[in-house]
Amino acid sequence: MALILNKDEEQFRQSVRRFVAERSPLQKLRELMSSGQPFDSGAWKQMSELGLTGLVIPAEHGGAAAGYSVLSVALTELGAGLVASPLLAGTLAAGTLTRLGNPAAEGRLLPGIADGELIVTLAAGGTGTARADGGALTGEFSPVLNAAQAGVLLIPADAGGRTELFEVAAGTPGLEVTPLPALDHSRSLARVRLNGAAGTRLDGDAAAALGFAADLANLAIASEQTGGMAACLAMTTEYAKIRAAFGRPIGAFQGVKHRLAELHTTWELANAALRDAARAADERPADFPRAAAVARIAVSASYVDAAVATVQLHGGIGFTWEHDAHLYQKNAMSQHALFGGPGEQLDRLAALLAAG
Amino acid sequence: MSEQSVTDFRNRARAWLEQHAPLRGADEGGESGTADIATQKAFQAKLYDAGFAGIAWPKEYGGQGLTDAEQIAFGQETRRFALPVGVFFIGLGMPGPTILELGTEEQKKRYLPKMLRGEEIWCQLFSEPAAGSDVASLTTSAVRDGDGWVLNGQKVWTSGAQYSDYGAVIARTDPAVPKHNGITMFIVDMHAPGVTVRPLRVATGATPFNEVFFDQVRLPADSVIGEVNDGWRAAVVMLRNERVNIGTMGAPRTSPLSYHSLSSLAAKHGDAADAGLSRRLAELYARERSVRLFGQLLREEAMAGRDPGPRGSVAKLAGAELGTFASLVAAEILGPAVAASDSEEVREVLNAALSAPGSSVAGGTNEIQRNIIGERVLGLPKDPGVDRSTPFNQLRVGTQRKN
Repeated sequence: MALILNKDEEQFRQSVRRFVAERSPLQKLRELMSSGQPFDSGAWKQMSELGLTGLVIPAEHGGAAAGYSVLSVALTELGAGLVASPLLAGTLAAGTLTRLGNPAAEGRLLPGIADGELIVTLAAGGTGTARADGGALTGEFSPVLNAAQAGVLLIPADAGGRTELFEVAAGTPGLEVTPLPALDHSRSLARVRLNGAAGTRLDGDAAAALGFAADLANLAIASEQTGGMAACLAMTTEYAKIRAAFGRPIGAFQGVKHRLAELHTTWELANAALRDAARAADERPADFPRAAAVARIAVSASYVDAAVATVQLHGGIGFTWEHDAHLYQKNAMSQHALFGGPGEQLDRLAALLAAG
Repeated sequence: MSEQSVTDFRNRARAWLEQHAPLRGADEGGESGTADIATQKAFQAKLYDAGFAGIAWPKEYGGQGLTDAEQIAFGQETRRFALPVGVFFIGLGMPGPTILELGTEEQKKRYLPKMLRGEEIWCQLFSEPAAGSDVASLTTSAVRDGDGWVLNGQKVWTSGAQYSDYGAVIARTDPAVPKHNGITMFIVDMHAPGVTVRPLRVATGATPFNEVFFDQVRLPADSVIGEVNDGWRAAVVMLRNERVNIGTMGAPRTSPLSYHSLSSLAAKHGDAADAGLSRRLAELYARERSVRLFGQLLREEAMAGRDPGPRGSVAKLAGAELGTFASLVAAEILGPAVAASDSEEVREVLNAALSAPGSSVAGGTNEIQRNIIGERVLGLPKDPGVDRSTPFNQLRVGTQRKN
């Protein structure tokens, strides 16, 4: 169970990195911000051509079944470039479906997710609940990833004291999806209201599927955060070498140097924890929940810290609209809050540790 | 190196260890445990005879002529065991590799095989009362006398000096040039006339270190390691080895400040209803696991042929900060028992907490590690100090007052 990347993973990393630089530079995100589009459909198509949409989907459903370590490598690069896309939503939905043990639902939904044609999202990650009376769902979830673009929503609902998973098609009467202004422009988020909307109950182990989705969210978001943090550090370190004050580069001053050294140290630890979580997802399922929680805890607050330092160490220029620092600050704050904030993560890890 | 040969070596090591090495017991803290010197010497000799000493050192100096990959594999296999060889840790980790890299043919043949066989114990003599972080401002002097040299001065924080046969010492040999250019590294016979070793008591009351005094100690001409006045380079080589060693050791599960120990302590002494405490323990687990994983990542990179270089400082800094954090968690668990308690267990935890700041100092302070990470890992510019160009004898050193 080597933590370091193997040759294939390293190669894949390079190709995703090239995609980000060539097809989805930060300028693209600024264009989305002015146009109000949630993501660039051309870039999304290229992402599915690169195979990103089907990395953890079995081959029989049109995926590449490349595994979670490869997924983590890809998400790290996409997170570094703040690439706006419904990939996280699709990945979590696919992860949920593969653990549910419902071959019919897999056959119906996974091929569309794998080729990028169908956006499926799981109503999780924020606050909210729903209850089911027969097949009629009532409740509210907010915020939900890419709900406004989703063709299908997966809704966890209380059905007579048990949590079950329901499939709800977009446009179903009683389903109300309201896009919300998102702090981070690379995330499209919406409020989902269900007023007696008709849903199809999906047979299977919903509790196991949702538990896995929470662990997968930790791995996926920790990957993006680790990438975002690396981008912040690279940008700020570069600036500290060229910006002069008091007759020398500001990076020569210990006030700046030590702050960067400290952030780099936390990044190295987070990266090691992330590699471990990614391997655990593929090779050590019993350890995966802990490993994923550790990876998330190791990076989440540190990324916010690094993004804030990026604004601050750039000085006045870092606080302008034109500079990219605020894009990372918004991403870091948003990521830190979604799918389990800091207190919830620690409680979850404490419970996992107590369970032995 | 082939993967198969490393696997074969690993299997051979595992089989040997299972047959000969004592398992790490519940009460076993560090590597050396409490075994006496004779036992440790005997065990090191057994390791040597079995082909597990100096694994990556050349055969002509008593080594096995294998690669770092085998060395790391052996280290991984030993983790379950408490090898009674702690007194050799410094010699084999620091002076040994430095002599291997910079020593003369005669020095390598004379000292390295005996070091590997456990016949001679070594210590390292760098720090001085007025030269810690800025160790290049040392004032211990070596003055030429005929063919050889005469050594005078004081060293401090020397582990194992009381039972060492030899030491690697750095001393000033030219005070009229900038400080880094007038230092030489020597081999000093710790049994020579004029060498005095005194135990140094620390905050816990224990005496894990020593002060060493040199009074007119004669050093032969062939005791110079590397070139005269080029001792700083040798010191840098040695310190880098030290950081990698300290940083990647990791706290054993049985250390009083490990997550494992503190969660049992919390079960006994902590307030079970305190949700804040269970969060702090979870955070400790996450940090401890991340630090351990980073050590593993560095070792894997080394096995793949990538030199960890200055990233050893990242491991060193992270390990020290983990210890500080764990001490705070321990204090939170104990509550008012921190202030007064007649429990032996509480005393042990408090001693560990009192020792924690030591790991933020030993082997280079946290501040020095941040300089190294900033300058050598991130490539930030050096802070231009006057000390690089001014002759040493015109510099202010330590806490001396200006007249």
